This record gives sequence, structure tokens and C-alpha cells, in this order.
Amino acid sequence: MSGAVIGFHADEAQAEHPPPAAPPHGFHRLLAPGWLRAAWFVPLFFGIGAGLVVLIRWLEGWHPIWNGSVITTVELTTVPLGFLAGIGGFDYWVRYATGAPTQAEDHSGHGARSWRDYFRINTDHKVIGIQYLVTTIVFFVIAGLLAMFMRAELARPGMQFVDNQTFNGLFSVHAALMIFLFVIPAFAGIGNYVIPLMIGAPDMAFPRLNALSFWLLPIAGIMMVSSFLVPGGAFAAGWTGYAPLSVHQPLGTVFFNMGVQWAGASSIMTALNFLVTIITMRAPGMTFWRMPLLVWANFTTSLLVVIATPFIAGSQFFVMFDRVMHTHFFDFTAGGYPLGYQHIFWFYSHPAVYIMMLPGFGIASEVISVMARKPIFGYRLMALSLMAILVLGFSVWAHHMFVAGMAPWLRVPMMVTSLVIAVPTGIKVFSWLATLWEGRIHFETPMLFALGFVSMFVIGGLSGIYLAAVPIDIHTSDTYFVVAHIHYVLFGGSLFTIFAGIYFWFPKMTGRMYNEALGKLHFWLTFVGFNLTFFPMHYLGIQGMPRRVADYAPRFADLNLFISIASFGLGASTVVFLYNMITSWRFGAKAPANPWRSLTLEWQVSSPPPVFNFDEVPQVVGNPYEYGVPGARHGVFNGDRVTEGEEVHA
Amino acid sequence: MRRGSIVQLVVLGVLFGAGAAAVALLIPWLPDPASEQADRIDFVFWFVTAICIAIFALVAAVIVYAVFNFRARPDDDEDGPPVHGNTGLEIVWTAVPAALVTAIAIVSAVVLAKNEQLPSAPSASAARSAQKSTVNGLCKSKGNDPLKPLVVCVTAQQFAWLFKYPDYGNATSSTLRLPIHTTVQLQLQALDVIHSFWVPQFGQKQDAVPGLLTKLVITPKRLGTFPVICTELCGLGHALMRSEAIVMDENKFVSWTKSQQGGATGATGGGGVAPQAGKALFISNGCDGCHTFKPAGAEGTVGPDLDKLADFARQAGQPLEPFIRESIVNPDAYVEPGYQKGVMPGTFASLPQAQLEALVKYLEGSK
Repeated sequence: MSGAVIGFHADEAQAEHPPPAAPPHGFHRLLAPGWLRAAWFVPLFFGIGAGLVVLIRWLEGWHPIWNGSVITTVELTTVPLGFLAGIGGFDYWVRYATGAPTQAEDHSGHGARSWRDYFRINTDHKVIGIQYLVTTIVFFVIAGLLAMFMRAELARPGMQFVDNQTFNGLFSVHAALMIFLFVIPAFAGIGNYVIPLMIGAPDMAFPRLNALSFWLLPIAGIMMVSSFLVPGGAFAAGWTGYAPLSVHQPLGTVFFNMGVQWAGASSIMTALNFLVTIITMRAPGMTFWRMPLLVWANFTTSLLVVIATPFIAGSQFFVMFDRVMHTHFFDFTAGGYPLGYQHIFWFYSHPAVYIMMLPGFGIASEVISVMARKPIFGYRLMALSLMAILVLGFSVWAHHMFVAGMAPWLRVPMMVTSLVIAVPTGIKVFSWLATLWEGRIHFETPMLFALGFVSMFVIGGLSGIYLAAVPIDIHTSDTYFVVAHIHYVLFGGSLFTIFAGIYFWFPKMTGRMYNEALGKLHFWLTFVGFNLTFFPMHYLGIQGMPRRVADYAPRFADLNLFISIASFGLGASTVVFLYNMITSWRFGAKAPANPWRSLTLEWQVSSPPPVFNFDEVPQVVGNPYEYGVPGARHGVFNGDRVTEGEEVHA
Repeated sequence: MRRGSIVQLVVLGVLFGAGAAAVALLIPWLPDPASEQADRIDFVFWFVTAICIAIFALVAAVIVYAVFNFRARPDDDEDGPPVHGNTGLEIVWTAVPAALVTAIAIVSAVVLAKNEQLPSAPSASAARSAQKSTVNGLCKSKGNDPLKPLVVCVTAQQFAWLFKYPDYGNATSSTLRLPIHTTVQLQLQALDVIHSFWVPQFGQKQDAVPGLLTKLVITPKRLGTFPVICTELCGLGHALMRSEAIVMDENKFVSWTKSQQGGATGATGGGGVAPQAGKALFISNGCDGCHTFKPAGAEGTVGPDLDKLADFARQAGQPLEPFIRESIVNPDAYVEPGYQKGVMPGTFASLPQAQLEALVKYLEGSK
């Protein structure tokens, strides 16, 4: 079975790849897609939004006709639309829909010749992958700084720096940014760059959709961050936004409701793109059982995203409708059902935990196999366990609600499914360990982070067993034990694998090597700082410190001070990472095509790869991890040579 | 595998196991249990901990062994042996964790059933129905049935707890008092948003959900005073939504309930409210949970000290009586410096007029 290759004209396109068209002049610059057009489209669409509100309120006779919070709510839809239309996100489809002649794809939107090409609608999956990663790291830094503010406040009991509402806003925005603007899209960014290369495709299946799905992200992020500026402060009901509390919060909550819609739409579009790309655009010979595990991981993750994300969109719309249109979904005095919110919310948000972890599993499999110089142990079971997690992941949501007052009979079945998920997860951990066994392990930075991930994820997984057992969960639910658990899984799990992935593919993406010494320093600072920060939180939680509080009992003061100091060290470790990334990207040594001696396809082309990835269609002839098998190949090129593509990077 | 490597691996495993066990045993992780339910929860905790230590020791030993024994030299370009899998091993590490989680599930389910068992409901199914939350249910007294558990009606609102004892003439308090060795069923209601009742030493936790009557079973076994904590984010004053649970002797408990009921019943009767009902109203509405007020014996520190009401009124530039009324009905109209808007619940706006007036008179008159 070989994957069909759609629209593969690499040779042709490479030969005819046109230089970018001459920039438009004068008046036409205002009409051409770009920042200039966005600069006047945004106020235009702002006016349209405000006008609509005023018109409807005037017609209905609602006073006051000019209502700031109503207009703000509507603008959260219209202004982003104006921005996207302005920079050219919809140009092709608008032409198509209005019957105007569509512009044939001339590939002028591919590749990046200067830094400016990263700041426009770009249809090249490699450019989009880097756009994703840089944007998500920016939001990672912002969300991390919010955590630093929180730890400063928590260093001592009582209130020092912020008031209660601001503190509630700090942890709400911290979590929302880390989840929706960092972990989920950072994996999408790595996948965007690597997946088409790994399966031997010239690009993603829908490049314009790909560009659009990236540009939704900064909108969602700016929306969430800017909620600090509206009257009443940022959304402060936690990233879980439980109703009915969230319904009656200040205006900032709407920024969360809508921010989630933009980020969610972005992830759904990317996931559909991944699914179609993986199903239809694999190179000849790349059967499903020859796909690298990162491709498997993104495939299962994308299924999760497509099925689950509409549920969080729904839950946030319900909250917004209760607030804006005075519906009664969660208003018990009018027959609403507050627990309904939690069921809908967790039906997304538990699978979301796997959305934030499965791509990390994929990255760990790539890194560990390559750097231990051994085939991944139990390849098929590794792929099947991903599918098992996908299916089981939809049957465990109510373990977040053991104390919520839901139907009591639901608890034991949900506990059983939650515990059973430990089995496929355990298979993966044991298989990584077996891959290490008798390998020839090279401890470059990506491997350090991958091994750090395995060990930290085991601790997070084990504390998950505690939380799955209903009696222990009843005691520890909503305490710092949960805070510790979630950070061992999302920081020790997701973030460590994101770092592993960034260091691993940095040479491929930038064409330069990162600084190995700084990379190792970054790992050790992160590893030590992480454990000192989050391990003591288990104790705080079991002993009686609830989460989401700015003030706490004096007997927890010493440990909280210790945690705060450790967390500042952890925060500082990020500076090492950023310095390394920036200076290496600019001044690093030139990277060879395949510094890790990997077999997968992305390493068989130059670093960075040619604009259309492969100058000729690779033929996949074997499994991706055949290290140690004499003469084994994963992909071969015509004439069995690796061609050097044109240098496209600035 | 060489014999030497097995020995090394076992030694590493034992070392990591011993280390983890030391961390588990030497640190007093669990709060000193004060209820029979907490004892059983602790059992599950230690059961899971034993399994987790074994798994952690295994994984840590293999990683550390691999890191030190399979490290490649920088110039080593060799590959490892091309081992693709081992069906027997894969079956083992699927089956053994499956068996372990099954054991955890069984232990947890049994403990859960026991922890919700009421004296009159020996079977698990009856316990479940006793635990079932009811939509729009009302907190009911146990009546004269001696087999039924003591019922405490818990009302949660931003940001205070109120405990009512229907079996003791509706005695009302802002602190929870329980007789020792008596199984109590808390019936929880929320007036505004979701709150969650937790006493770490009791081990039991339950959300109070608007529109639902949820239930929680506690059998205290140790005298003492323990914190009551709201664990579900409920807004501005969430961190301040604290109270106390006091476990006392049966006799002391009964005489305490008598002292708490006198005025409260008078306050709820009819339209006219006797002025002496002011103190009972002050307590039955939970004011003492947050405020200090000497005439009522209240020592709360969350909100402003009501013994200084006259000074506050002067600062707000208002006559005392309307100032007190406004501060109850619309607490954010004037907020004393050093305190925050939005912390005091707005729900007192719906107090019956007669009760409101009685409360205002009481606060004004006791100056």
C-alpha cells in the first residue's frame, strides 16, 4: 500500500520557482494583502462591529444605545476577522466565493528569503512551523512571567503585591496561555515543520488553511493577555471557568470565552490538515506500519483534536450566552444545570491532556531511538498503545468530578477506565527503557530532555494513579497535590519533550547547530529547578493547602518560600534557553544535513531543506528505526544520492 | 544478560526503592486522621504508595543503569544490537500493570462504599442512594429514627459557611461542631456559585452546587479543632472562605446546641421580630464567621471589626443607621480601607425586611 501523492510537482516547481512578484506601488499597496491593508481593515471592521450593535440596539429601543461591554463582546469577533482579511488570510476564498477569477498558485507564498517573510501569510509549512514555534515561545515566556508574579505573592502568607481578583486573574491567564497558546500549538508547530518532511511530502495538504490556522493563534493570545486591561481585570474563574462563577465575572471572562474559540478553531484546522496530509500524501512505500512514531502520534492527536475541541467551544459559548443573551444553561434558579458545564468542559479537557502529551510521546520515541542507536522496542505496540489512549481518553472525563456531586454510580466506572489508561502508558515507558537497553547512548541535549521526560513523566503518571483512586482523589482534589501532578505531567512531560524536539530539529530548521554546552546547562537547571519547585507541592496538597488561593495558613509559609525561590531559579533557566536559541540561530556553526545520523526522511535532505522539501520523490523501502541492521534503509532516492537543495534561509 | 549486570540492577533497584520508601515514611505526608473515613483513605494511600514505590524503583534503576553502562564514547559510531521487540516481555509489562491497577480499583471501590455507609444503610446500594445528590432537594432532619445519622445542613455562599442542626431545634452556627464517634451526614447547599467543603483531617470533601443537595458522611474519632476549607474557586474571597470544625464530647455538644437555638427560632417566627433576636440573626446569618463583634461574642477577622462601626460611618460621612443598612444590603457602596470590594456576599439584600431592621437595630444599639 503506498500513499497517494497529491500535487507533487517538486521538480517542475523547483525549476520554475518564480522570484517574488514586484511589490505593489502607491495606491495598490493599500489594497494588496499585508500589514498596511490590515492597518485600515481593523478600524473598518471595528466600525462595522460597533455599527451593528448600535443599529440593532437603536431599532430595538434598548438603552443605552452605546454599551461598551456589548460592543467589546462583538468586537472580539469582528476585529480579528478584519485583521485576518487585511493580511490576506481569506483572499483566495473570497475570490472563489464571489466568482472572481482565482489566482493560480504560483508558489510565491513559499519559502522565506528574509525575516519579513515570517510576518506575512506564508503557505510554506516550514515557515509556518517556525512561525508557530516562535509565537508559542513568546507566549510561554509571558505565561511564565505570570507564574513568577504568582510565586512572588505566594512567598509569604497574607497579601503582599496583588489583590485577590488580580491573583485569580494571574493563575487563570497563566494556565490558559500555557495550554492554548503554548503546549498545544508548540506541538502543532513541530509537527507542521517535521511531519510533511517525515512522510516525504512537499507540503501540507492545505497550505492556505495552514497559514490561516497559524494567524488565528496570535489573535487568541493577544486577546487573553489583553484581558488584564479591561475594567474588572482579567478572567479570574480559572482556566476551567466553572459556571455559574464564570457567568458573573467581570468583562475579562468574555476575552477567555472568545480566545478559546480562536485557539480552538486554529487547532481544529491544523488537525484536519495533519489528518489529510498523513492519510493522502505519504511517499510511495510509506505504509502506516512504516511511519515514524511522531507521525503516528500526530495522527492520533489530530483525531482527538477534531473530535473533542468542539466541546470546549460549546461550553464557552454557553457561558457567554448566559452572560450576554441571558440564557439559563447554568442558572439553577431558572432550571439550568451547573454540572452540565463540567461534563461538557471535561469531555474536551481530559482528551486535551492527551492532545498535550501524545506528540511528546512521538518526539521522545524519535530522539531515544536515534540517540540510543537502536530500533524502537515494540514498534507496533507503541503505535497501538497510542490508539488505545485515544479511545480510552474519551471515557475518563468524569474523574475530574469525583467530588462535584454528579451521579455517584458514575465514579467507579470512571475510576476503572482512568486506571486502565496506565496500561498503554506503561507499555510506552517500558518500551523506551527497553530501547535504551544495550544501546550506544549519546547524551546530547535532546536525549537529556527525552530521558528527563521519561523519569518525570513516570512520577506524574504515578501521582495520577493516586488521583484516579476515588477515595484518595476525594481527599486531594482541588489541592496543591493536583497542582503538583499537573505540572509533572505538563511540565515534566509536555514541556521537556517540546524542548527535546526543539533542540533535536533545531539544526534542520535553522541550518545551524545550537550550543551544546548551553543546552546541557539549560537541561540541568530546568531539571533541578523543576523538581525543587513542584515536588514539595505534593506535600502541601495532602496536608491541606487548597489550590488557587493567594493567602494560606501560616504553617505552610516556609515550604512556600522555598518553592518560590526554586521557581525563580526555574524561571531563570529559560534565559539560558532563549540566549542559546537566539545566538545559535544567528551565529551557530553550519549544520550538516544529518547531524544525528538518523534514518527518517527529514534528515536525508539539506539543512534547512529545499523550498519543496524533496527535489525528487523519495521511495520508502523499510522501517524508520533500523539502527544496527546492516545496510538497512528507510527511504531511497533515485540513484541513491542525497541532493543538496538551494539554500533558502536568510 | 550477564550475571554481574543483574546484580548491579537489583542493587540499584533496592537502593531506589529504599530511598523512595524513606521519603514516604520519614516525612509525615498525611494529616493526623480525625475520622474513620480518613483512616480508610490512608489505607488506600499506603496501598497505592507501596505499588508506586516498586514501579518507581524499577524505572529509576533501569534508567540509571542504562545511563552508566550503555554510554557511547564520543567517537563511537557503532549502532546497538538490532532488537525489535520481545513478545514475552511485552505481554508481561501489559499484564502486570493491568493486574496492579485492578487491585487498586477493587480496594478503592470497597473503601468508597464503606466511607459512604450510614448506620441505617448497611448495604452498598443503600449507601449509594444515601449519597446520591438530589436536584432542588431540601435538607431534612432524621426525625425520630434513632438508626438514622445526625444531619447537619451546610449552606455555602460567597464567602461564608453556615451550619444548621435540624435535629436540635435548628441550632445554627458559623462553625461546625460535631459529637465524637457519631456518624454525621452533611447535606450541602450553595446559594450562589459552586463551593467545596473540606476538612483535611476528616479526609472527606464534597462540592456544594447551586440547585443540588449533595451529601457527605463523616464519623469523627478524635477531639479537636480542625480547619474547614473551601477548595473550589468561588471568587474574590475564596482564600478567606474558612471556618472551623470542632469535635466535642456528646454532652458538651448537646448543651452547645441548646445555647445556639434559643433566639434563632424566635427570629424566624412571624413578621414582628423581637429586638433580642438581633444576636441570633447575627449568628444564624453567619456574620460572626467574618466579623468581630463583642456583644455577639464574634471574633472573625476576614471583614472589618464591627465594634468600630461608628468610626466607619464617620469616615464614610453617613449617619450610623442608614450606613449600617446600606453596608448589609449593598456592601460595596463603601468599603473600609484595607479591605476589598466584592468579598462580602450580596445575598443579604434578600433578608426579610423585619429581620434586616432587627439586625440594623442590634448593630446600632450595641454601640
